[in-house]
Amino acid sequence: MNAALRLSRTSLRSHKRRFAGTFVAVLLGVAFLTGTLVMGDTLRAGFDTLFADANAGTDAVVRSTNVVTVAGEGQGTRQPVPTALATRLSATPGVAAAVPDLQGSGQLVGSDGKPIGGQGPPTRAGNWITDPKLNPYRLAEGRAPSAPGEVVVNRGAAGKGGLKLGDTTVLRVPDPVPVRIVGIATFGGEDGMGQATFAGLTLGDAEKYLAPKPGEASSLSVRAGPGVSQQRLVDALTPVLPKGVEAITGKAAAAESLDMVAGLFLDLFTALLLVFSGIALLVATFSIHNTFAIVVAQRTRENALLRALGASRRQVSTATLAEAAVVALAASTAGVLAGIGIAAGLQALFPAIGFPFPAGDLVISRLSVALPVAVGVLVCLGSALLPALRAGRTAPLAALRESAVDQAGASRTRKLVGGALLPVGVGVTVAGVLAPGLLLAGTGALLTVAAFVVLGPVASSYAVRILGAPLDRLRGVTGALARRNALRSPRRTAATATALMIGVAVVSLFTVFGASLKATMDQTVSRSFAGDVAVGARQFGAGGSGISPRLAPAVARLPQVEAAVGLGKGVADVDGGGRNITVTDPVALTGLLDLGKVEGSLAGLGTDGLAVSANEADKHHWKPGSTTRLAFTDGSERTFTVRAVYAEKDLAGDYLLTREAWAPHRAQESDTLVAVSFKDGVSVADGKKAVERTAAAYGNPTVQTRDEYAKSSASGIDMMLTLVYALLALAVVIALLGIANTLTLAVHERTRELGLLRAVGQTRAQLRAMVRWESVLVAAFGTAGGLGLGAFLGWVLVRASDADGTGAFALPPVQLAVVTLVGLLAGALAGWRPARRAARLDVLRAIATQ
Amino acid sequence: MTTALRPTATAAARVVDAVKTYGAGDTEVRALDGVSVDFPAGRFTAIMGPSGSGKSTLMHCAAGLDTLTSGSAFIGGTDLSGLDDRALTLLRRERVGFVFQAFNLLPTLTVAENITLPLDLAGQRGDREWIDALVDTVGLRDRLHHRPAELSGGQQQRVAVARAFAGRPDVVFADEPTGNLDSRAGEEVLRLLGSTVRRTARTVVMVTHDPVAAAHADEVLFLADGRLVDRMPAPTAERVLDRLKAFDAPGVTS
Repeated sequence: MNAALRLSRTSLRSHKRRFAGTFVAVLLGVAFLTGTLVMGDTLRAGFDTLFADANAGTDAVVRSTNVVTVAGEGQGTRQPVPTALATRLSATPGVAAAVPDLQGSGQLVGSDGKPIGGQGPPTRAGNWITDPKLNPYRLAEGRAPSAPGEVVVNRGAAGKGGLKLGDTTVLRVPDPVPVRIVGIATFGGEDGMGQATFAGLTLGDAEKYLAPKPGEASSLSVRAGPGVSQQRLVDALTPVLPKGVEAITGKAAAAESLDMVAGLFLDLFTALLLVFSGIALLVATFSIHNTFAIVVAQRTRENALLRALGASRRQVSTATLAEAAVVALAASTAGVLAGIGIAAGLQALFPAIGFPFPAGDLVISRLSVALPVAVGVLVCLGSALLPALRAGRTAPLAALRESAVDQAGASRTRKLVGGALLPVGVGVTVAGVLAPGLLLAGTGALLTVAAFVVLGPVASSYAVRILGAPLDRLRGVTGALARRNALRSPRRTAATATALMIGVAVVSLFTVFGASLKATMDQTVSRSFAGDVAVGARQFGAGGSGISPRLAPAVARLPQVEAAVGLGKGVADVDGGGRNITVTDPVALTGLLDLGKVEGSLAGLGTDGLAVSANEADKHHWKPGSTTRLAFTDGSERTFTVRAVYAEKDLAGDYLLTREAWAPHRAQESDTLVAVSFKDGVSVADGKKAVERTAAAYGNPTVQTRDEYAKSSASGIDMMLTLVYALLALAVVIALLGIANTLTLAVHERTRELGLLRAVGQTRAQLRAMVRWESVLVAAFGTAGGLGLGAFLGWVLVRASDADGTGAFALPPVQLAVVTLVGLLAGALAGWRPARRAARLDVLRAIATQ
Repeated sequence: MTTALRPTATAAARVVDAVKTYGAGDTEVRALDGVSVDFPAGRFTAIMGPSGSGKSTLMHCAAGLDTLTSGSAFIGGTDLSGLDDRALTLLRRERVGFVFQAFNLLPTLTVAENITLPLDLAGQRGDREWIDALVDTVGLRDRLHHRPAELSGGQQQRVAVARAFAGRPDVVFADEPTGNLDSRAGEEVLRLLGSTVRRTARTVVMVTHDPVAAAHADEVLFLADGRLVDRMPAPTAERVLDRLKAFDAPGVTS
């Protein structure tokens, strides 16, 4: 045992360079993982502090128990409570103060006429609470609003919009309200609550603009008297509250807010990062395994000598594993430190580029250190296990043999297993896609990936021969040599390329998926949108306040306009589940949106009828004439008759209700889209100008032509793709390190050959080109495999995630060409250093090496 | 000893006052200590000497594989000391041939490709008739499309000889070309070198420690301690052996 360890120590010391690639691969993977975990914890802690600050002086929150939550849409819409209740609660023993809290959506317009924020973080408006302990905002300048039209805005929003004390501007609630800024506020000493904007109004204004009806508040904030704990306060309040109203502690309210942010964004964000660090580590596994396999092959004679001298199999294997363990521990430790550094860097960077991340100290939990180290060590040891066992199996006689270089081709077993696996994998996947079964499709996809990995060495010799065919003609003997070097050890070439293949496959998968989603959206808009322009098209993560419901009627009165209809958003509980409801004029809508085949009639919905999508109708077994009960956020419940069932729900949504039916139950009113069509003979450009002039008075929402609308609907996908590419870059870098490392080892192993080539007249430039072209060939093989695999998996993902079968599948030629080019360039880059090292070789030493 | 020097009209390669030292200070080793020698064109010259006598260094420096510390080396009329790495490489490619002791061939190339490797590297077609004749001389016509691994040691060395002569170089340097072969295969390679020199007026310089190999040469140069100590025209194995034995007797070397 001691001897084995001593061996690995001396080996590590004398072959530091060989493990440099492994070291860096583990380091990068572990750093990514650590960074993710630390970022996640830090963000959570940041939001925790934020919400604790927001609720700092609030000991209890009194609110309705009636809430409608649509799956995946956060906290839901809660029924208001009567403002008058505050007065009654103030008299309750233990209560120091109780004030109404009216919160709603309100987007400020900056001095340049453009709305402030609205790209994700909320844009809020509310009543300015005069009890300073119950108001998380503090006045930094000016005074509290006291007359209608006066507002306090948070310092961050004022800064972004170029607004100063005394300025007048517009607050979109979403009706444009002229406001004058009388105060600038801070939140817990910062410019605002994260990147959210806030406009504080008088109670009267807030009731007028934000509450559905006068005398209603979103909730009541209650402060406890001296010596009364939050829980005691809640206990004291509960008996005095009317039915359907509850009290919770300030702490519980803060925790709820945190859970909401976590559920909406934080968990997804962390999960996404974890998936990508997983991919990076998977790629690292392949390249580390390859390095150890080569090192063990190169050391065959050394290991054979050890075995001949009496070392046991176990001792030889242990020596190799111990080497791996040392590299793993060192690299993982460095990786954890680097990951903490990355998290610190990102924390500093994100606010600068406008990401909604709260400030705060880095949170480094024990798990964020222990888990990455464990994963790093496991990945490294796991990758080295097979090579180590192979090292132990070295026959003592191998010491006497001449060639120690691994030139193994693909074995028969491999061909058989791979040849069987591929059709089974593809078949199962296709079956899973055709007869929708996500589990089946997923299993098939995994099998297909496995088949690609298994078949790599079989494919590599064919692929390199084909891909490299032009090289002979283009680069003469240099190209021929590069191609044959890449062909020398199909297994090694394949293993090296596999890492890149996985990386490229994931990149192509997302590229194809993104392009298909965009094509689908484009199709949806061109199929369903029959108007000429759209106002206020929904964009990715748009917070904002929506569009004034008064805009559509105003636009409809324009002489150029044939029809204009607004689509508003509401929520209701249908059959025990929260649902989004589109509030509109269904008759006018049919002229602007193609609803497909309609059963029944949209004309007579009235105040007790609704229209549903065919999809939703099937789920509930509804036909025109069926009835169902809808529960609203004003606490009422009404029976509705299904009067129409329509096929196309992409733009219209699943439920249509008239404005008249919705009016009694409405919360803050706003439209998300206004569709407009022009009269014959009106050019789109002229009509658009006219609509823009009208829209300017309604808070200046964006007016888009059909094409612009389709494009902007898809712009969110580009943002997501950019993020995904950035995250995948690391996996590709690790794969390239793998190629570079393999080449360095190959150059080392071919020292004498390179010396001979130089002696008989190969110039340094020719030698460098030879090594680089070999690298490019390996990269080309990996890229080609990755493209094929990625395109296939992309198709699977597109089809599997599209239950209706209405989505489009697109192979974007330009993007995929770019991916290919990047793969090849990356190969050239990976070969650069090994090529330089090879060219620096001293001819004499090379031919003297025995 | 100077009497042994025959005046030659042209030297295919020569070194003048060649000095090569390794290391510095106390550890300085003088591998070549002022050697001047011509390798006449159209002749087969062998260099002999005990281990560490500088015979390999002399060959490497004369062939442009290594540079001299002082003095100069010439291939034909070209002074190698003025050439950079690229120029030296091109010179080796076009005007010098090599046969090494082992590992002469690229395992990925066929026999035919190995033979034309220097020409291919230069992007030239070469003289096909000449190469054709060479292939027949070395007797490997039926092996042209084999890989080196499929050949015996002797066959591999014969391919190396063909490669060395393929570009009609000014001079072919052979470094222990028979060191790894049994005596029969070695004999064949030596006869091949000798006959090519005589029939086609090529120049060969061979380093060897084997008196039997040296006997194939037109002349043997003896090196000891980095100096040229003797020359023997028309050598036989016995005479070479006798001369070598003299190196073992103390005080005779210089």
